[in-house]
Amino acid sequence: MSNNRPHSSGQTQKSNASAQKSNAAAKKSASSQRFAERQAAKQQAAREERRVRTRTYGIVTIALVVLVVAVLVIVKVAGGGGNSPVVDVPSPPAGTPIPATTLAKLQSVPVSTLVAAPTSGIITTPQSVNNPALTADGKPQLLYIGAEYCPHCAAERWPLYIALSKFGTFTPQPGRIHSANKDGDVPTVTFYGTTYTSPYFTFTPVEVYTNRPAGNGYAILQAPTRAQLTLWENTNGGAFPFVDFGGKQVLPSAQYSFADLQNLPFSAVAAQVGNNSTSIGADIDASAAQLITTICSSLSKHQPAAVCSAVHSG
Amino acid sequence: MPRWPGLVGTVLSVLGLGVAGYLTYEHFTSSSTLACSDNGVVNCLKVTTSSYSEVAGVPVAVLGLVFFAVMLVLQLPPMWRRPEPVIRWGRLAWAVVGLGTVLYLLFAELFEIDAICLWCTAVHVLTLVLFGTTVFATSSYPAPVAVDA
Repeated sequence: MSNNRPHSSGQTQKSNASAQKSNAAAKKSASSQRFAERQAAKQQAAREERRVRTRTYGIVTIALVVLVVAVLVIVKVAGGGGNSPVVDVPSPPAGTPIPATTLAKLQSVPVSTLVAAPTSGIITTPQSVNNPALTADGKPQLLYIGAEYCPHCAAERWPLYIALSKFGTFTPQPGRIHSANKDGDVPTVTFYGTTYTSPYFTFTPVEVYTNRPAGNGYAILQAPTRAQLTLWENTNGGAFPFVDFGGKQVLPSAQYSFADLQNLPFSAVAAQVGNNSTSIGADIDASAAQLITTICSSLSKHQPAAVCSAVHSG
Repeated sequence: MPRWPGLVGTVLSVLGLGVAGYLTYEHFTSSSTLACSDNGVVNCLKVTTSSYSEVAGVPVAVLGLVFFAVMLVLQLPPMWRRPEPVIRWGRLAWAVVGLGTVLYLLFAELFEIDAICLWCTAVHVLTLVLFGTTVFATSSYPAPVAVDA
């Protein structure tokens, strides 16, 4: 044992040294761990701070978008934003008189010319329906419902006037109007204030609105009867223009696009009627030929023969 | 990443796809493209047949359909769980594209066409809400961490 004492003492010293080392290592390790924890906490805090900051940016972005939308709506509601720089100048409901020579030209386009027109611009054609016969004054009735502000109606009145001129006469002759300035400003004729006389059928034009702005829309010109309203809404949902050929066929919309007619003077369009080499002339002529064909089969019993045989032979 | 962004985004995208699909169907089948409906402020026909209804000959309704179709894929819950930045930022960028288009069309309706289409408004609201949820979720929740196989 005594021999072991020095040895034991040395061992104790070694053990102590080892313990001290171990303690130091443990302290160092604990310190490192605390440092790592502090670093991790710092990183976590930084991440959290970044997350909060990013979320704040997101919320601010959403708020800005909501603000922009709200400003647009408020400016509109407050009337601060004009819809266009165009000043809306309404034409008189019954129209401005058209020179007799121009009317004569429109009335006298040969049916053969109309039939020969290319039909590439025709989008809508009259469709057969099984509605009850539409009559007035003991004759089949051609019902037209449109609106003076409506550009599609403006386009459709050109071929309608040309076609109707082959079967009867207007008294007085239609005047010229244009669709609302902000709705294409399409020149056209108006049937308002005219009376059409034909030995074959009656023509009932209803122009529901003027092209004069009123409130959020346009001033009312003519109210359809209850029967007309029911027929119109049941057939094409109350869209303009609507043409019913005696309950046998209907035209639920314009036959061609008004796009080429926008902002043109009346005389410029009239000059192209009967000229199938221009897109405007071709569209109007081809549309008129289709209307004549439909009137012959649905309303006039293929009379007058000179007109109806010309479209059928074409 | 919570589940709600994926679920909300998917539902909104499906609704948007439905409305845009209806508007596209109407665009190609209705003969009323050559007609005026009524003369009030709420006038869908006036909006959908205006010059603003097409961009470079492509109907806006079709563009809406494409937007919601792509957005539906990006908003699916599994896509929100994907860690790839391209998906996370692509979804956000796509939402910004939708926002820009909606603001442009809203301006056109209010100040150029002077009429509002309720169906279009439904699409606009859905797009704006989708933008809001996408921005909020992307900015609030960190990207999921990739798990190695």
